[in-house]
Amino acid sequence: MNKILLTSLCTVACGSLQVVHAQQIQVAGKISDANGAAVPDVTVSIKGSGTATSTNSNGLFTLNANPDATFVISAVGYQKQEIKLNGRKTLTISLQKEENALDEVMVVAYGTAKKSTYTGSAAVVKNDAIDKQPVTSFQTALTGRVPGLQVSTSSGQAGSTPAIRIRGIGSMNASNEPLYVIDGVPVVSGSTGQMNDYLVNSNNVMSTLNPSDIETITVLKDAAASSLYGSRAANGVIIITTKKGKNGAPKINLKSSLGISPSWATDNNETASVQDQIDMLYSVLYDSRIAGGLNETAANKWVLDRFKTRFGIHGYGFSTEGTSMYEKVNITGLTDGIENREGKYYDWNDALFRTGIFNTNDLSVSGGTDNTNYYTSLSYTQDKSRVILNDYNRISGRVNLNQKIGKYLEFGSNINIAKTKLVGMNDTRNTGSNYLLQTRNLLWPLYWPTDYKTGNEWTARYGSLAYNPLYYNKEWENSSKTSKISAVESLTLKLLPELTVKTIFSYDETESKDHIYYSAKHYNGSSTNGVVTEVTSNIQKLVSSTTANYNKTFGLHHVSLLAGFEAEKNESSFVRATGKDLPSSALHTVSTAGQLDAGAYSWGNNMMSVLSRAEYNFDERYFASASFRRDGSSKLGPLPRWGNFWSLAGSWNIAKESFIAQVEDINALRIRGSYGINATLPPSDFGWRSLTSYSNKYMTQPGGALSNIADPNLTWERNYTTNLALEFGLFDNKIFGSVEYFNRDSKDLIQQVPISTITGFSYTLKNIGEINNKGLEFELGSDIIKKQDFRWTASLNATFIDSKVIKLSGGKPIIWYDPTGKDDRARFIYQENQSTLAFYGLEWAGVNKENGKNVWYTNDGTEGDFLFEGRGASYNYTKAQQTIIGNANPKVYGGINTDVEYKGLSLGLNFAYKIGGKLYDATSKDVADDGYYWERIHAQYFVDESWSPNNTDGNFPIVSGRDLEDVNQISSRHLYDASYLRLKNISLSYKIPNDYLSKIGINNARIFFNGSNLLTFSKYKYMDPEVNQYGTRGWEIPTPKTYTFGLEFNF
Amino acid sequence: MRKLFIASCIFISFSVTSCKDFLDVKPTNSGDAETSIQTAADAKVIVNGVMSILSNRDYYGRNFPLYADVKGGDFTIFAAGRGFDYLYTFNHSASSNSYSSVWTQGFNAIGQINNLLKNIESLKATGSLENFNSYEGQALTARALVNFDLVRLYGEPYNENKAAWGIPIITKSLKADAQELRSTVEDTYKQILLDLKAAETLLPKTKLNGYLNYYANKALQARVYLYMEDYPNALAAAQEVINSKVYTLYSNTAWVDSWKSEFGTESIFELGIYPNETDLGNSSLGAYFRRSAHGSSAILGNFMASDYFLARLKQDDTDVRWGVMARDETAATRLGAIYKYSGGVNLEGDKKSSNSTAVNFKVIRLSEVYLMAAEAALKSDKALAASYLNEIRKRSPKLSLTNESTISLDVIAEERSKELAGEGHRFFDMIRWNKKIEFNDELGSINTIHRTKTIDRSLNKTILPIFTDEINANPGIGAQQNPGY
Repeated sequence: MNKILLTSLCTVACGSLQVVHAQQIQVAGKISDANGAAVPDVTVSIKGSGTATSTNSNGLFTLNANPDATFVISAVGYQKQEIKLNGRKTLTISLQKEENALDEVMVVAYGTAKKSTYTGSAAVVKNDAIDKQPVTSFQTALTGRVPGLQVSTSSGQAGSTPAIRIRGIGSMNASNEPLYVIDGVPVVSGSTGQMNDYLVNSNNVMSTLNPSDIETITVLKDAAASSLYGSRAANGVIIITTKKGKNGAPKINLKSSLGISPSWATDNNETASVQDQIDMLYSVLYDSRIAGGLNETAANKWVLDRFKTRFGIHGYGFSTEGTSMYEKVNITGLTDGIENREGKYYDWNDALFRTGIFNTNDLSVSGGTDNTNYYTSLSYTQDKSRVILNDYNRISGRVNLNQKIGKYLEFGSNINIAKTKLVGMNDTRNTGSNYLLQTRNLLWPLYWPTDYKTGNEWTARYGSLAYNPLYYNKEWENSSKTSKISAVESLTLKLLPELTVKTIFSYDETESKDHIYYSAKHYNGSSTNGVVTEVTSNIQKLVSSTTANYNKTFGLHHVSLLAGFEAEKNESSFVRATGKDLPSSALHTVSTAGQLDAGAYSWGNNMMSVLSRAEYNFDERYFASASFRRDGSSKLGPLPRWGNFWSLAGSWNIAKESFIAQVEDINALRIRGSYGINATLPPSDFGWRSLTSYSNKYMTQPGGALSNIADPNLTWERNYTTNLALEFGLFDNKIFGSVEYFNRDSKDLIQQVPISTITGFSYTLKNIGEINNKGLEFELGSDIIKKQDFRWTASLNATFIDSKVIKLSGGKPIIWYDPTGKDDRARFIYQENQSTLAFYGLEWAGVNKENGKNVWYTNDGTEGDFLFEGRGASYNYTKAQQTIIGNANPKVYGGINTDVEYKGLSLGLNFAYKIGGKLYDATSKDVADDGYYWERIHAQYFVDESWSPNNTDGNFPIVSGRDLEDVNQISSRHLYDASYLRLKNISLSYKIPNDYLSKIGINNARIFFNGSNLLTFSKYKYMDPEVNQYGTRGWEIPTPKTYTFGLEFNF
Repeated sequence: MRKLFIASCIFISFSVTSCKDFLDVKPTNSGDAETSIQTAADAKVIVNGVMSILSNRDYYGRNFPLYADVKGGDFTIFAAGRGFDYLYTFNHSASSNSYSSVWTQGFNAIGQINNLLKNIESLKATGSLENFNSYEGQALTARALVNFDLVRLYGEPYNENKAAWGIPIITKSLKADAQELRSTVEDTYKQILLDLKAAETLLPKTKLNGYLNYYANKALQARVYLYMEDYPNALAAAQEVINSKVYTLYSNTAWVDSWKSEFGTESIFELGIYPNETDLGNSSLGAYFRRSAHGSSAILGNFMASDYFLARLKQDDTDVRWGVMARDETAATRLGAIYKYSGGVNLEGDKKSSNSTAVNFKVIRLSEVYLMAAEAALKSDKALAASYLNEIRKRSPKLSLTNESTISLDVIAEERSKELAGEGHRFFDMIRWNKKIEFNDELGSINTIHRTKTIDRSLNKTILPIFTDEINANPGIGAQQNPGY
């Protein structure tokens, strides 16, 4: 079938070159906007004839017409014009902008559309919302901008990958990330490279795209908008369009900014004073001895002796007045070294964190003639986060070129080259290499990086396995260098004024080189006398697509048809070389090592598709559209390999009806609806195949073993999406906005179904589960002031989502853990009719105010050991049953944005908020622990709020030395209200009046300030409330406050 | 320009015609499960895989021997929180610290074995002329070994209650939805012997370093019979190994150095643990018994010999087995750190390299067979028993040899403790002998609510719970949970 389609397309394509128009005059015209810039894609039609064409990217068109014809010029976003030809052969037309938010032109799946006539659900973010922020990828800048889209930044590390969820969570095991499309081509996203096998950090592949090169971003949300992307569209689609040159003389744009991050956005488990900490540790240790049967004097002595061995070696002496459990421990300095540390404590926070620097410099040159337009850019960005040792830099260049060849053909080439380098840190509860955990929990200010006796560097471990980072930092290194080359080559052929054929061929290669080294002195390298690993991983993506677009107007009827096919090849490979037993600490290379080890293989998947869409509208009043796509993927077995995805949509532009048109207060009113099916592919390339793997090597010989019991019928996860929307504009857009209802049924979800381990395996993949996401999106805005030199707009968006698990294999709940940081920090349960992010654990009832003990609700239907607040409870957590203790999904989230422009001055505020839902603080088991981890630091809040005979109002339990594991239980004790409001961005810019600038050859110049995360209002006070997509807070590097100052010039 | 079009049309047509192949992408590091065993060479690769699974950290590479040593009273902990203390304190439940890794790893091995046996059977049925005997014999013996290990972890002792639940007996490939239930301890032992007997004739009698041969099978039979208290059969099996002379005991001078090399003269079944394979680096079995911070700050000094074990060894200060003991963190004079699986007290390893963690695990060595022979002969022929025991007892030169009047189970038990410390026997021995196990809790001031200082096999936690995940996926087995969980 594909072949027949192709042959006919070729025939049509080749044949149409012969078409000749006679008996008319040829009219050439140029269409530009009020500023003189060329406007492409303007429809130029001859009134009453049905003949039409559209302008090219230089705003030029030619059309054969009778000398007395009337041209109708229409373009999305501009006022319609009618022009009598009167025998002229050339026309110069200037368009007036239609000032209406609903009339934006946006890039959508395989084409463009006017927002007011589009039947799907889509939102547009323009570059001015992104390009002045101190971000390495555009993703974080989407926070709070688009209803239904949620950005979760789990780490403040430079180069890290945020998570994006569009309209909830639709999968348990496959991806929940949207599909990214850049300049018409699906691209790879997520974290690249293999460093994740060695360090818990991420290397965001999207950061290879310079945010300043982006013109617009369109977010496709419903089936009507996204089903044309078929099997990958279930989580929505983010379409990025890069900048194009505009007709005119070369324009040089220079932009430079410097951001500094002197502090975190919030408190982060700020530690108690040394005195408080040592007093608390005293109580814990003392209690442990009393429990062991010692008397008061002996217990006191034991503790002070222990202080001597643990802290005394750093130059301190300890004594107490009495011998009770609660004593003030006097800390004195020892005088037998070269340094007396009396009253001096080491500031680890100061040693391990710095003022972050974000610096970006962009240079772009763009311009165009009638036949050619170009945009080129060169950019250098560096992001040194607040953590010493976490640096990111990027150098990138782009050339976007469009060239007309003859009358009918246009060639486009978008080439992006980027190189990034990332040095990362462990973003996990890893006691050895996470500085946040170290400074908050392990590194007592009583520990010093030098020996007080000799002044030499301290190399031994401190208590609780802490180590001296200042020494060990010299004994290891890591880096990930990523090179990106992407070339999108396109050929557009205007066969007929109504018919365009476009072929795109794209080549996208991402190569990451990861390097990680531990010296023989580092504890990770000591057992092998040093180890160094080099990994090169490569992702190649080839996409070829050909589409034909037919647009025609018959009187009041407008028809638009699209048909095409697409093929995609994805190949990933990696080569790893590891060297152990290194000859010298100066050589960090594999080839010098005594012992070598290597691995290399490749994997991938391919896809073929045919796609089509039909759109119809009558008088821009009644709209209908349908799309169909058929995908075949190598990720599925031969039987279920091909799947069909489609959508139907309609809309009614009520404002065009005469009975509304008369109402002056209503300037826009439209309803639309859609229904359709799209899908998500299985996460694994080979999930349907039962395989024998050869990773079980034995005594240097190959060893083979079955690696799974696969289901050959494993198939797509399907999404059935309904969307209903009302859009309005009232009182000359004094109020505008939309209300949108969506319902997304995700079915055949791939579950890792636990199977009896007696089979030899723990899981098998099956299409079982069902999830439902439904909700409402509101967007409300106002052009409060709309004057020539004073504009003020404000908008608010809110998304209410109910995200529930509907069906599970055999109805059996599935318990799972937050995968972030690989530290099993929080437990969740998928249970039918419960939230998709239901925290599962023990229910903590709080502290008994009589004795300071932890009280647990037993939740087992009994009265427990005693009743607490009327419910069965116990002091013993092992008597409590696990239950759902909270929901991480917020009730509502969104953003508030406002922009004021007065003369050359503009101010923008961008707030993001979340109301409702819980967050799980996985750090509190460390910093608010009841004494289980002896020599660890407590947070100030725990010292303040821990129950003691002197503080019987304490919300946290009494400290104990009896190894109570209460704090280690995943329980509601660590759950907090996740609501917050944050000023994500404030931007202030001033356009320097042209009078001054033109004299020195500058067209315009702007100075700007951007503040990120400057204000946070949160119910949860201990750490940053902006948590990851699972609603958990771990020891990830938090978000800083960043103050960015910049300059922009146009020559 | 027309040429350009035609060219691109042709190009696109080409890419479309190969549609079927285009969508058939195969992995490059795995083979198709259905067709991966065709020849004896393929069978050998799968046997390698099985041995690799056995030597994995979840099984003989660490967790299984660790279990038997840490719980047996010969070892203790100095501080809680260094890892695996829950083994020492018997803090197990179905949902936490269930220590299910040996179960999952063991059944994975059984799944691989059954798949291999099925393939060999069908290849033979279709007329393959390849010789699969050794691989079939190894597979059957390995299945018996896994079943035996699992029934020791999960079943009540054979000599206490053989009608209790043993483990599920799996002899064929299972589908993903299979939900097999437990057999009795008695039936489990029956299957173990069935497999061992069936394998006997298939296995070569030559040494097979790193693999199972005829004598490994026989030595395992001796062990199984001993656990069943079938002394005549145990003795016969042990004697066949001893009398074959394929293996010889280490002399006193060679004993310490025997830990510094692979496949010594005593090694009847030794699992190869190699760098970049199942080597665990600082988490290896040997690393858990070293002195804290010895060689690396990642060495935590998890486990050290108990006062009781040291007192036993101190019966003779010239006992050759002091050669693998070195000081622990508590005092320079307390030689509580054991270095068998570090190659030696100077971290020599067993492969003449700087790597001291990739040290092979000796599953069965000849010394144990002598001790088994002594124990098996004890009831019927005390003189014979003494002769076998004395061969090992010679390693304490200052101690007098035993004779038919001085030999007893206690003497054999003491010798087993000294000779096999750190090799994964003590706990199972104490349980099958129904002896009291005393823990040296005072050394590190350890308090635990999960057991008393002294226990015996009446404590329910001397066998492991069927873990929650298995019960969830296989609800029928929930009714067969071990008592007290």
